[in-house]
Amino acid sequence: MLHLPVLKADERKHSMDTDKGEKVDLTDAIFQLEKEGEWIVQRVPEPYIELDTKYGRKKKIPIEHTWHHKSCGQCGHIPGYSASIFWLNREFGLDYHDPTNQTSCTAWNYYASATSNPEAQAAVAIRNFASAYEVGYFPLIHCGTSFGHYKEVRHALVHQPELRRKVKAIMEKLGKPFVIPEEIVHYSEWVLAMKDRIAERQQLDMSMITATVHPACHYHKLIEDDAIYDSEIYGAQRTAIISGTLKALGINVADYSTWFDCCGFGFRHILVSRDFSRSFSVQRKIGVMIEEANPDVTVTHDTGCVTTLDQSQFAGKAHDKKVGLPVMSDSQMAALAMGAHPYKVLQLHWHNTDNKAFLEKLGIDHEKKWSEFQHEIQKIKDGKNEYMSWEDAK
Amino acid sequence: MMALDLSQNKYSDVSMEEKDRLFAEAKADERWEHVLYGCYECGICVAACPSARFYDFSPRVIAQAVAREDTDLIYTLMADSIWDCSQCFSCDRCPRKNSPGQIITILREVSVKNGLKSAKEALQGYGRIIYKIMLTGTQVSPDMLQPDAFPDWGTHVYEIAENLDDWRKALPPETLHTTETSWVIDDKTIIELYLIWHMTGVMDLISGVDEGLYDIIVDVMEERLEEAGYDDVTFD
Amino acid sequence: MASENIIVIGGGPAGLEAARGVADLGYKAILVEKRDRLGGTPDEAQYAALTPDMRSAKEAMDEMRDAVTDNSGVELMLNTTVTGSEGELGNFVVKAEQGGKQIDIEAGAVILATGFQHFDPGRETQKYGYYEHDDVITLVDAEKMFTAGNFVRPSNGEKPKSVAFIQCVGSRDRQIGNEYCSKVCCGISSKQAIEVRHHCPDAKIYIFYIDMRMYGYWENEIYWPAQEKHKVNYIKGMATEILKQGDHLIVKGEDTTLRRPMEVPMDMVILAVGMEPSVGTKEMAEVFGVNKNKYGFIETIGGALNTVSTNVEGVFAAGACTGPADLEDSVSAAGSAVMKSIGAIRKAAVPA
Repeated sequence: MLHLPVLKADERKHSMDTDKGEKVDLTDAIFQLEKEGEWIVQRVPEPYIELDTKYGRKKKIPIEHTWHHKSCGQCGHIPGYSASIFWLNREFGLDYHDPTNQTSCTAWNYYASATSNPEAQAAVAIRNFASAYEVGYFPLIHCGTSFGHYKEVRHALVHQPELRRKVKAIMEKLGKPFVIPEEIVHYSEWVLAMKDRIAERQQLDMSMITATVHPACHYHKLIEDDAIYDSEIYGAQRTAIISGTLKALGINVADYSTWFDCCGFGFRHILVSRDFSRSFSVQRKIGVMIEEANPDVTVTHDTGCVTTLDQSQFAGKAHDKKVGLPVMSDSQMAALAMGAHPYKVLQLHWHNTDNKAFLEKLGIDHEKKWSEFQHEIQKIKDGKNEYMSWEDAK
Repeated sequence: MMALDLSQNKYSDVSMEEKDRLFAEAKADERWEHVLYGCYECGICVAACPSARFYDFSPRVIAQAVAREDTDLIYTLMADSIWDCSQCFSCDRCPRKNSPGQIITILREVSVKNGLKSAKEALQGYGRIIYKIMLTGTQVSPDMLQPDAFPDWGTHVYEIAENLDDWRKALPPETLHTTETSWVIDDKTIIELYLIWHMTGVMDLISGVDEGLYDIIVDVMEERLEEAGYDDVTFD
Repeated sequence: MASENIIVIGGGPAGLEAARGVADLGYKAILVEKRDRLGGTPDEAQYAALTPDMRSAKEAMDEMRDAVTDNSGVELMLNTTVTGSEGELGNFVVKAEQGGKQIDIEAGAVILATGFQHFDPGRETQKYGYYEHDDVITLVDAEKMFTAGNFVRPSNGEKPKSVAFIQCVGSRDRQIGNEYCSKVCCGISSKQAIEVRHHCPDAKIYIFYIDMRMYGYWENEIYWPAQEKHKVNYIKGMATEILKQGDHLIVKGEDTTLRRPMEVPMDMVILAVGMEPSVGTKEMAEVFGVNKNKYGFIETIGGALNTVSTNVEGVFAAGACTGPADLEDSVSAAGSAVMKSIGAIRKAAVPA
């Protein structure tokens, strides 16, 4: 037995001093601007759950009456991601709204090409917020970049009166109210807030699964004060998102040394300079995860991360790199745990990397599940069904 | 990896007055004072930067160049370096609270606005994305998953492209049965988006980097705006 | 009835020196300390050797303690916590709690010497993993190990083959809100690097820094010997993350001189944690109505010419309760506070 005057890492206790530093708690400023008649603040509807942010502020996470601010990349290329979020809401019988008067945040383009400007970006954000407010639902942001970008927009609107003036004029022209939500909430915060309820209804044992986690840059690096932390998860030294959810599902969350690195998406790069995205993703992320943690799956919570980590592995194969790791979102993992269909709901056929071994490990007969899905496709082909409904997806 | 050539007056074809003017435009940006305080060259931004591991790219050099207001060096960086940034904002961790990533956002905007050759080159092949986002309000769409666009993503892209219509119909959320946009978007919403582009002058930026693309997008927008009763809204 | 006694709050180096000074000048010092022993942070944190002269911290603190114990001019009150104060220059009544009892202490003037506390690396914006990796320790932990005479990796008890110091942890950082330099860490790290060399003759030793702040004789007494004689590698560039890979750590940073990102395997990492106001300093500022600066340290009002007077007449502050200070600063300020407080009492006693 080693006797040293130094404690082991897990015995060291730290206390968060919340009254120091230039923290970005905009709550007071947002409500003050409402008092001054600058805008309307949309309150988080009840019931909500409070989670801790980086410096101990309590963030309100709405449970229902949510307005689903969808992600263009998710809905376009990995639609089971969003379908799983909706499926979870429906399973819990929660009231939600899936709007058709939503545009994407357009931030992917902004970060990729700079062919936009702060007024346009803020106006797009506020137009979406106003659309949510008008129907009485609270925005739940599906995309990490939209989430991070909207936090930036909110920060800019609070601090730049001239920008507020311009956006206000635009909203007046559009005949829409100038509304800012009390909290900017990411869907994976909602999943985390729901983790115990999800675990209560878990149908699939996942204790044999080891997962690595990739937190999205725009979730926790852009205005990190607003991301969720938990002293039980990495001693609150990393965001609790995903890891907290997976642990609640009984999954073994494994560490790897490049956890902080980005996925390689690069906004512009994934579209027109993919040599960077591929190399970074395979060599700095997937390869390291396999080498150090040998996981069954890697789980992330943003459009770009799922896409880049998943799609880049194909080219890695040709170079004999360590690849072949299924990539999924926390919403898909949660839905799967609760018994969602891997193809009808999780829509895993849109993913690139082979996930059959992963499904087998969970005891899922993927051939049977695939034929069930094919049966639904046949009904569509035969004209018996125009679409596959939620009822068909059961 | 191409070494970044930072030698003095590398772009001697561009006058110092022009280099000064471009930097002055960046500096006049409302965000400027919050993205650059001072730099003591700790290197944390480089350490956290994904692009620095793949390219000869240094957010620290960019922060230093703008802090020194070395407009010649800044021009070289605008021409040869800023488009390598991944815009992940890992560098927001700067202990001085600089944001090299946001400095780059602003420098990119200036490059686009002024139609710099480097901006045009960086956005080569990107035009279809601008077309999509400007006209539909979603950046990518299911029908963009074509093998010729993503050859390095393997055979599964073929499979998606072949089955696209059926697979989209086999999505339980009612808003996702689309192929040209990521979800169903109301006509009124699209018109509102065009009005935002119009009121914020975004199309001028696009004309700077791709005149042809600008013409195509503007034609479509003006036609739809006219149909919606906005015949007075023109982008000229 | 006016009092000529001077109450000194805090039994660390500044308080010990102040109490001794008051007694030497023929006045009575009442030295109040909330712990059960004197010596302050050097004692509590078990410092091994002092910077820059490598003198044993225990021996130095013993010398300071000896000067106030069995000293007829110093009344010691250990296990005593100050809770309130009334009155003014010449007539302070300081309320305190001692073993559950409320007591009143009369004094003509007050010297606050409540010191600092070490920055908690859990609040660091960079990812240094102090709460994740056993082999990431602080300067304070390292002092304890040197004092125990056993410098090894906490994870396995083996001698490290490579050790890195990371400077400016919790200092010079707008994100954290501590924009100031903590002043002593460069010197202490270099001193510790020399101690590591004694324990581990073959180890690679690195100091990752932004600027080495080794003013005056610290340059020739520590910096150069560390570099030249003890072969400590100084690398200009900070780490942004400490990661674990297998059984060793990875320091991820930039070597700014060579302009390239680096990932260096390391057995042990020592975080050079800076100074923040102690809980006692913040509490005493409230009790005596003394202004604090934006960092929570006690604000002195005389600029460079008077480093001990506060906004409250008759209340003085010395040492690290006013901001980052080394031992020389603390002891010098204590002397100045003694002079100023006795001067104030004497002036107050003379009718105008």
